[in-house]
Amino acid sequence: MKVFLLVFVTSLFGWSASSLASSNQYNLRVDGLACPFCAYGIEKEFTRTKGVVKVDIDMVNGLVIVTTSTDKTFAEAELSEIINNAGFTMKSMSQAGH
Amino acid sequence: MPRLYSFLLANFLLLLLSGPRAFAHDPIFGIGPHVLFKGGLETSLHLDQASAGASKDSEVVLEIAYGITGDWSAGIELPYVFRDESTASSNGTSDIELFTKYRFWREDSLGVQESAAISLLVNVDNADEKVDPPLGNGAVDSVIGITYGYESLKWYRWVSLRKLNPGRNSAGFELGDKYLLDFAGGWRPKPPVYRDPDTVWLLELNAEFADRASLNGNDIADSGGTEWFLSPGIFWTSRNFAVKAGLQLPLTSDLNGSQEDSDYRFSSTFEWHL
Repeated sequence: MKVFLLVFVTSLFGWSASSLASSNQYNLRVDGLACPFCAYGIEKEFTRTKGVVKVDIDMVNGLVIVTTSTDKTFAEAELSEIINNAGFTMKSMSQAGH
Repeated sequence: MPRLYSFLLANFLLLLLSGPRAFAHDPIFGIGPHVLFKGGLETSLHLDQASAGASKDSEVVLEIAYGITGDWSAGIELPYVFRDESTASSNGTSDIELFTKYRFWREDSLGVQESAAISLLVNVDNADEKVDPPLGNGAVDSVIGITYGYESLKWYRWVSLRKLNPGRNSAGFELGDKYLLDFAGGWRPKPPVYRDPDTVWLLELNAEFADRASLNGNDIADSGGTEWFLSPGIFWTSRNFAVKAGLQLPLTSDLNGSQEDSDYRFSSTFEWHL
């Protein structure tokens, strides 16, 4: 039983690590974020894009954090256009792969 | 009551509560520069009421709008109105309204958005004017507008100017041109957190300047004039759902001839962004 549990827990950690490793994160500095209801447009614009897993928004610091699967990458111009279509302005971006 | 006579008496109290008026953090009685995100669909339900002396109008309006680009939206309003005047009452579908708004300027900085937009609204003449009181003025009218807005994480301010260009109906009756000038401010007590409920308190100063209505080119003495209103309101949102409500209270008026002063106007909106 102990061996089974050990194998199970190890597999779980292994799966988690592998799942974390299979994502990209884009940190966007976005100007114009003044209300959360309007910021919903950013989430909607990204989540209709294939490969986007998660969108977080920090209103006070003007940050949009977009997590994608590893097979989905964005060019800076593409990100800027999506933010513009949502009605905001992207100032800068950085990418962090996991 | 003869049809023409009922047009002269009809106050059309809710005519200028018309849209485009949903669009997120725009004022309740004035307009603001907000538009929808590209490809966004907005559905909203408005419940409005206006009272002036013995006249009371209520309406339920379904509004649907679409974001053509990130700066340009268009939509339709489908109103059902309940009209109650001293001697008669009626209800039914009122004039359908088509509207569009284009944000021609936007300046973004951290936590702040300033923008300006122009808008156009046209109401088609589909309402039943044979009932008493009539459910529409029997003409195609248009409203053009321009608005500026400043929004930050804590404070909001807007100014807007609209002009009603009334059409003339088949009986020769025409409402007077009307100008609407709106100043609005908003205050958010708590910094916003995405996905958390958010509240903004609003206060508007609304002015209406109306020319006299006319019948076959002759001015009607008991029509037109000036009214000023003070309008507190609230805007509550939770992610992609919003509730707006406001009460428009008369401050002062200078109406021509013998007319009933406005008692109050109430407007509420339930809005979803999809």
